[in-house]
Amino acid sequence: MPINAGKIENILQNFVSGTNDIQGATLVSPDGLSLASVLPNAMDDEKVSAMSAAMLSLGERIGSELSRGNIDRIYVEGDKGYGVLTNCGDDAVLLVLANQSVKQGLLMLEIKRLTEELKLILM
Amino acid sequence: MLRQELGDFCSIVCFKAAITGMEEALGEKATAIALMAAGRTRGKKLAKELGLTGINLEWNLIADKMDFALGINGTKLCKIEKIVEEITVIRVSTSETVCSAGEPQGSPRKCTFTLGAVWGALEEITVKRLKGTHIESVLRGGSNDIFEFSPLV
Repeated sequence: MPINAGKIENILQNFVSGTNDIQGATLVSPDGLSLASVLPNAMDDEKVSAMSAAMLSLGERIGSELSRGNIDRIYVEGDKGYGVLTNCGDDAVLLVLANQSVKQGLLMLEIKRLTEELKLILM
Repeated sequence: MLRQELGDFCSIVCFKAAITGMEEALGEKATAIALMAAGRTRGKKLAKELGLTGINLEWNLIADKMDFALGINGTKLCKIEKIVEEITVIRVSTSETVCSAGEPQGSPRKCTFTLGAVWGALEEITVKRLKGTHIESVLRGGSNDIFEFSPLV
């Protein structure tokens, strides 16, 4: 069944616009191609996609080489905010960008809900 | 900075060593993603430089132009033998790719940078997002390295 990119983009759009602290979200294939994205204008969708897939892959390698088990999430924390990469089934990787004032627990909960919703569409 | 004596080319041995070194440090998958992304950027830039953006030319003429830029008269990344468009896919036959060079027969290695370069060029030419795969390899019984591209939905 073909992936419904429009539906995924709507879900991402609702997710980003529903919370002030979330600045963007993108869903990419494991080989680094964008499936749907809602990102700030200054960000290059293609670069972000390749970077997200490469980071998750690198995280998986770290998990395996350093005996950390299966990697579910990679978390980048900077002084301007967060970038959270989450495995979204076998066919996709989700990147969520949030500003520094986001409540981390809430962010994780929102991401969990979002990945569950996206996994249903990707199945 | 021009290399006055060594010129523009360096050995495939060094290029391959850079790739295998990256694979050891980052893993094959992360390296492949990075090389494909780099190739796509290179291909897009090349197609722009050749004035091929959005151009409506026969595929054999585009293949000639790409071969001139990438093949024996160009950067020697690979030879572009043929481009064929079927209903929903574009197939590009290449030979002597830098990615397959120096590999033993039966090697599982796939083209990454070369695939990306052709991919980026085709995206620039067709002005469409494409999904590319390496479907036939000279390392696994094929007569050419063949890349297949279909529109990304």
